[in-house]
Amino acid sequence: MKVLKNTLVGFSINHYKLATLLMVLFTIVMCAFFPQVEVDTDPENMLPKDDVKRLFHNETKKRFALSETIVVGVVNESDPAGVFNPATLARVYELTEFARSLRFQDEENPERTSGVVEVDMFGLSLVDHMSQGESGEIKFEWLMASPPKNQEEANEIRDRAFSNSLLKGRLFSEDGKVICIYLPLTDKHLSYRIGEALNEKIAQMEGDEVYHIAGVPVAEVAVGVEMFSQMAVGSPLAMLVILGLLLLFFRKWRLVILPMIIAMFSVMSTMGLMIALGFQVHILSSMIPIFLMCIGTVSSIHILSEFFDVYTKEKGRKETIKEVMNTLFAPILYTSLTTAAGFASLAFTPIPPARIFGAFLSIGVIIAWLYTVIFVPAYIMMIPEKKLENFGMATREKEHESFLTRILRSTGNLTYNHAKLLLGMMVIVIALAIWGTTQIKVNDNYAKRFTDSHPIRQADIALNNHIDGTYTAYLILEGDDEAGLSIEDTRQLVGNIEDFADRIKQDFQQAPKLAKEIVATIPQLLMENSTYMGLLDSIITSIDKSCLDANDNDFYAYDEIRGYIGIEKERLKIFKRPDVLNYILSLQKYMKNSGLVGKSTSLADAVCKVNQEIIDGNIRNFRIPDTLEGVGECFFQYQQGHRPNDLWHMVTPDYMSTNIWMQLKNGDSSDMKDAVKAVDQYFTDNPPPVEMSHQWAGLHYINLVLQDKLIPTMLRSFVGSFVVVFLLMGFLFRSLRWALLCMVPLTITILAIYGIVGIFGKDYDLPVAVLGVLTLGMAVDFAIHFLQRAREKYGESGSWQDVIKEMFGEPARAISRNVLVIAIGFLPLLIAPLVPYKTMGVMLFAIMTLSGIITLLTLPAIITVFEKWFFKKVDVKNLLPTNEAE
Amino acid sequence: MNSKKAIVTIFCGLFAGIICTNSWAEQLSADQIIQKTNHTALYQGIDSKGKVKMVITDKQGRIREREFNMLRKDEGDEDRDQKYYVYFQKPADVRKMVFMVHKHAAMERDDDRWLYMPSLDLVKRIAAGDKRTSFVGSDFLYEDISGRSPAEDTHELIETTERFYVIKNVPRNSAGLEFEYYIAHIDKITFMPIIIEFFKSGDKLSRVIETLNQQDIQAQENGTLVVYPTVTLSVARDIETGSSTEMRFSDIHYNLGLDDKLFTERYLRRPPRHAMR
Repeated sequence: MKVLKNTLVGFSINHYKLATLLMVLFTIVMCAFFPQVEVDTDPENMLPKDDVKRLFHNETKKRFALSETIVVGVVNESDPAGVFNPATLARVYELTEFARSLRFQDEENPERTSGVVEVDMFGLSLVDHMSQGESGEIKFEWLMASPPKNQEEANEIRDRAFSNSLLKGRLFSEDGKVICIYLPLTDKHLSYRIGEALNEKIAQMEGDEVYHIAGVPVAEVAVGVEMFSQMAVGSPLAMLVILGLLLLFFRKWRLVILPMIIAMFSVMSTMGLMIALGFQVHILSSMIPIFLMCIGTVSSIHILSEFFDVYTKEKGRKETIKEVMNTLFAPILYTSLTTAAGFASLAFTPIPPARIFGAFLSIGVIIAWLYTVIFVPAYIMMIPEKKLENFGMATREKEHESFLTRILRSTGNLTYNHAKLLLGMMVIVIALAIWGTTQIKVNDNYAKRFTDSHPIRQADIALNNHIDGTYTAYLILEGDDEAGLSIEDTRQLVGNIEDFADRIKQDFQQAPKLAKEIVATIPQLLMENSTYMGLLDSIITSIDKSCLDANDNDFYAYDEIRGYIGIEKERLKIFKRPDVLNYILSLQKYMKNSGLVGKSTSLADAVCKVNQEIIDGNIRNFRIPDTLEGVGECFFQYQQGHRPNDLWHMVTPDYMSTNIWMQLKNGDSSDMKDAVKAVDQYFTDNPPPVEMSHQWAGLHYINLVLQDKLIPTMLRSFVGSFVVVFLLMGFLFRSLRWALLCMVPLTITILAIYGIVGIFGKDYDLPVAVLGVLTLGMAVDFAIHFLQRAREKYGESGSWQDVIKEMFGEPARAISRNVLVIAIGFLPLLIAPLVPYKTMGVMLFAIMTLSGIITLLTLPAIITVFEKWFFKKVDVKNLLPTNEAE
Repeated sequence: MNSKKAIVTIFCGLFAGIICTNSWAEQLSADQIIQKTNHTALYQGIDSKGKVKMVITDKQGRIREREFNMLRKDEGDEDRDQKYYVYFQKPADVRKMVFMVHKHAAMERDDDRWLYMPSLDLVKRIAAGDKRTSFVGSDFLYEDISGRSPAEDTHELIETTERFYVIKNVPRNSAGLEFEYYIAHIDKITFMPIIIEFFKSGDKLSRVIETLNQQDIQAQENGTLVVYPTVTLSVARDIETGSSTEMRFSDIHYNLGLDDKLFTERYLRRPPRHAMR
């Protein structure tokens, strides 16, 4: 340590120009990488690319051809007819037509276009209306082929729309005040461009309607935009505030800009390094600058503060800085190491953005430390001695005692005189905090990343007021298409074929005889097939062959039997089975009744609707047909409309897996969790008629997956860095006892922070979780400074009472200044339109203030009460920091 | 006499009054070309039957199959009204379903369509407000099968290549249509439409129908042996969805003398043997 210190500080003081040049050069090189910056706002990327659930999510999107979708909500609350008036419908129509044209040349493949997926667009003028004609014929027509000319026509459109329960609550609200247009995108990154085009179009529209643009892709892009504005506005603002505070404390421009230089150079070097290494800027890593801005200043403020207090004209800057660095080198190194360790623990989480954030913050802290020790002395060397006139505590204290000095002095007395009382109060605080911690609710909500006044949040609130939920998750049910071939199945099949042939023998005399022939071939076919499906296929193929040269009578009998086996085969496609579809309906009903799901849409709903219309339009027939053939006809009819492909968003063409669209009313991941539980419970209580698996997909669900990983992950990181910090302290103090003491303030701080989070009902989400880990590294800093200095001074005087007096002089002032600078410095984050930044601002304010106060109150109080235990056995000489023992 | 010449001869017979040679054909108007094409594609012989197998392949390569037998009979010989009878065999769950159409060439008269659903033993009429809906879930539209009346579009011969007449067809009334215009590449000799491309506004290609295989089918016409060039494989590709449908025809027969009464509601429940085998 001594060697390291002497080398670095010596180099800095003696070769101050070279030291400065090195720092500037490295920073410039790193800055050169800035233009290559790439932003990643995809919430999916919170999970590793190979995460099983993420893979399933993407697989699901592909299988059911699901695209990321922008939702345009048109609200009319002023017209008595709501949105169903000619003017609003005309505007909806116009906007829909406009949206269809939003295609651009693909950037990667100029021959193709990308943009809105027109065929999958979903809007009032784009869907079919199935109904009964005047003479009972079934009618397929566009629901709104053209805008209505008068209110009567608008009413007719309204009636048509309301007659289709598949559309209600999705395409328009049941209160008739909102119509939505869904615009699936070929690539979600186009959402900004498309949103802009829509906004431009909307700006030209007349009328009282309010337009909202929502959907996950829009939110993602908005997060990206706000991130940059935050980095561009928030960080400089924080810098300004910090600068102002420093100026207030130290008065000298020349010195005050020093922490700023350190912070800025550290930020630029770190961000540049991150970009240079090819990492994308995620919402978390976009906070690195502001973090480093604060952390980077801490050490130099300690140095400045000490320098300010110790400087006298007689000693001169060189000697003063040498003395200051002697005192502070160890605490600064250790505070940097502990802070870095706190961040580094994030690098072991399974959340990639948190990993990058943790790793680079950690690197940033080390860079800031290095810049501090090599540049601060160099900088002071570069200040001409005469410019330091009137600088320093010595000059100022003569004039008057500052408010801070007086307050700290009485605090010092308090900790000595009422130590037990203070400790008793701390115990109460701890108890309260522990209770508060148990009240914590784990929850994340993507929409709530924005403040209530943000257009995205506004859209979210407005649309969810009317529509039955805009948060979509997909429940995927899947049958087993590799089901093996059992003797039981085969025996049953043989019996069934013979029975069937018997039943039809009146019309087809040959049937029983032919059936026997067919059955006779089965043992051979059994050998060739491993699945039931395969066996049925083989039987059909062999009948096909027999048909070729059969006489007419045989042919028709064969045809019947082949038809029968064909149905058997279709029955294996489980989502054609009436019992399975009815099961899905009950599941949907159960979920609706649970109150967790506003609306769900499945292929069972589609079958009911088609069945109703192909029979007579009576609502009584809005049900699943009794037979597989009936269901088959419904699917067939469904595909005869303008949008046959809609079916494939709900079921795969092999009818082996189905997708139930669940619309949740709330973006809270805790609601999603409840929905997942409810479905699990349903499956346990009501076993499905056929074996099937159920799994969830959709971004909203992915959010929950992330959240479920959060707690154990963060806890692990937390425990990890707690241990690392403890070990570092043990090493620094060469004493477990002192190391333990050092951990006290930070433990209380963290408990208090989480207690407050719990008591105030703030959701424990990703930003809060990440901050928890950071707290550790930062909160320990003050304790290190305090104890290190206290031990030093005890070594000099040997009387704890005297030490307290001294401690509440310069060291306490340095700590207080730091608390004030950083706590207030982070407050500009509160103006951010993104909630995580706000949370960060409030949390950091709380962390710094609390850890400062708790450090200054508990540490001296504990030592006062247990003075003997801490100082008894130890030889006073050994209390001197190792590097001081010259 | 090679088959091409034979076909030419046949057409000469059908369109009496036109002395048909290759050099003459060059000077046909767009309307005339379309008229001939319409005939070749839809009206050869007085009636016909065939087996159809459709394979629908989606963007991800997943396939669905349809099999049906189709009967057709014309009313008169002026390429006007027609009757279609479609008997489904696959998928197995819709076997015996029947789809019947009485197509009316007159613009002001909608077609009549019926659907027989065996599971309910129910005959349902289907209103034919719109012919541009999917045919059995494939990438062919109803109108691709029954034919779009030439009177609905204006036709312009935009290019004559070595093999094709290239004709641009623009609908007279665009209401309810998903395309803005379509371009047909018509074989100069057989008048078979080989490629039809549908464009949306902004010249965006949205769908293509292509004839991949043709066969000369022999038949008796008024006691003489004739040959009808007939499509046996065509593909419809939906550019937007990435889906495509292959349609294969087999067992094609012309001029069977199909009875008119087969195309009545009564026969929906009792499919004629012609339709079944």
